[in-house]
Amino acid sequence: MMWSEKYRPKSLLEMIGNEEAKESFVKWVANWTRGAKPILLVGPPGVGKTTMALLVAKQFGYDLVSLNASDVRNKQRLEEILNPALGNLGLLGKIMIFVDEVDGIHGRADFGGVSALLQILKEPTVPIVLAANSESSDKMKDIRKASVTIRMMPIPPRLLRLYLESILQKEGESLRVGTLIKLVLDSRGDIRSMLNSAQALVGGFEPQTEKSFETTDVESAVNAFFKARSRDEAMAILFSLRMDPQEKINAFYSSIITSHLSKNDMSEMLDIVSEADILYGRIMREQQWRLLRYLDSILVKLYRKDAAVRYSQYNLPWPLITRLRWDGKAIKDLETALSRRMHVSRSSFATFYLPYLLRCVKNKTLEMDLDPAQTEVIQKELSSAK
Amino acid sequence: MSWRSIPMKFPGTCTVCKKKIEVGEVALWAKGLGVKHQSCAEADVELDCAVCGGKAGCNQCEFMDDCDRTKVSQLCICKKCYEAKDSIVLYREAVSRNYKFPPQ
Ligand SMILES: Nc1ncnc2c1ncn2[C@@H]1O[C@H](COP(=O)(O)OP(=O)(O)O)[C@@H](O)[C@H]1O
Ligand SMILES: [Mg+2]
Repeated sequence: MMWSEKYRPKSLLEMIGNEEAKESFVKWVANWTRGAKPILLVGPPGVGKTTMALLVAKQFGYDLVSLNASDVRNKQRLEEILNPALGNLGLLGKIMIFVDEVDGIHGRADFGGVSALLQILKEPTVPIVLAANSESSDKMKDIRKASVTIRMMPIPPRLLRLYLESILQKEGESLRVGTLIKLVLDSRGDIRSMLNSAQALVGGFEPQTEKSFETTDVESAVNAFFKARSRDEAMAILFSLRMDPQEKINAFYSSIITSHLSKNDMSEMLDIVSEADILYGRIMREQQWRLLRYLDSILVKLYRKDAAVRYSQYNLPWPLITRLRWDGKAIKDLETALSRRMHVSRSSFATFYLPYLLRCVKNKTLEMDLDPAQTEVIQKELSSAK
Repeated sequence: MSWRSIPMKFPGTCTVCKKKIEVGEVALWAKGLGVKHQSCAEADVELDCAVCGGKAGCNQCEFMDDCDRTKVSQLCICKKCYEAKDSIVLYREAVSRNYKFPPQ
């Protein structure tokens, strides 16, 4: 299990840093009355915004209705989620609305969702909590005005070190002082990334060891899945294939896309894969690991009797893929920005979308509205692809 | 209270080191409080120790050059408390004494 999940604080006291922010947040929830302005938690990634919202909701006995930016893009979608919850107040117990990463809503992708959200923000009938990494965009201006901002700051490095050492101790691991300090500095105040790097360093990444143990099995599992005699058998095979969920999705994707299928089957299957991918993206964004169990029940829909799908590793037509996926920070930033825009996870953006996007840019069938740094990255990729 | 980073339009005097800040230089400005060099602002802020309540001793900290004290969460831990046994527990105890969180 990833340390960042294993050690996700189980109480506010276990969280380090931003003590005043935590206190004001608790005070706000404790004193909440109908009509009170929503709270906007603003702070860089990995300082505990999501954790804090989850913890406080739980401690005050609220059922959290979680939304992410893609739910908020679309007015209809927003209402689909919120109306049942808001319409049945009292029946459902206490409800708190949590919109995580609300700054992920982008201008052109907004189909009336933001103004619908603002409307709700202005007359709240339940406590509403919003979280954002940045508050500088235009969209955020209105949201900021309609709410009370609580700022979360990066954690000072020495406190990070203290925390990291306490985790290492619990794990019975130790690192040299120089390594420790480097981990702290590289994290720039992001606790999640610090824990991830530390775990990778001491070799404790279970998902990875599991993966290397199972990779020889992906092939037979995927093949067995499509040869299964019943849906139940296919499900059992899915269950037993224990590997990183993203890799699992990718394995099915690459197998399907390289198999000879009818147009109809192909498009149905790709829809299912993308449904799985969207769910996983959401799990990652909201850290809702309990949703993972639904992933297999989506993937099992890929099963159909005698489907001509055989396992294949990434055989996608664009030769850059592996390089693109693992290349430097610039690419990662670009992927992050664009994957947010398209509401897919970064890695699936890199695998499924980026190569095609590059092609479109190259063939001038698509013009992107990107900042200069991102344009430069794309140009570089294009020239190295020639 | 909020200091903003701006390019100077007029020459000014740093409120910390009292030296001149030139036109065009990027400095911190706050309404009613004046201007100061970025570097002075950082040196000017010292974090507090959550455990003993004293100063965190930022000038002797191993992270001195990499900690932007104007931008981090303002409670840290001083060297002495950090080196004490079970310092993370001490930290939590101190926080629970000084801040109101709901019962566990
Ligand atoms: N203040 C904190 N104290 C301890 N661990 C934290 C803290 N903030 C984040 N983490 C670690 O990072 C992970 C992700 O935190 P999260 O709340 O999702 O951050 P954010 O929403 O600000 O990006 C948590 O599971 C936990 O392991
Ligand atoms: Mg979060």
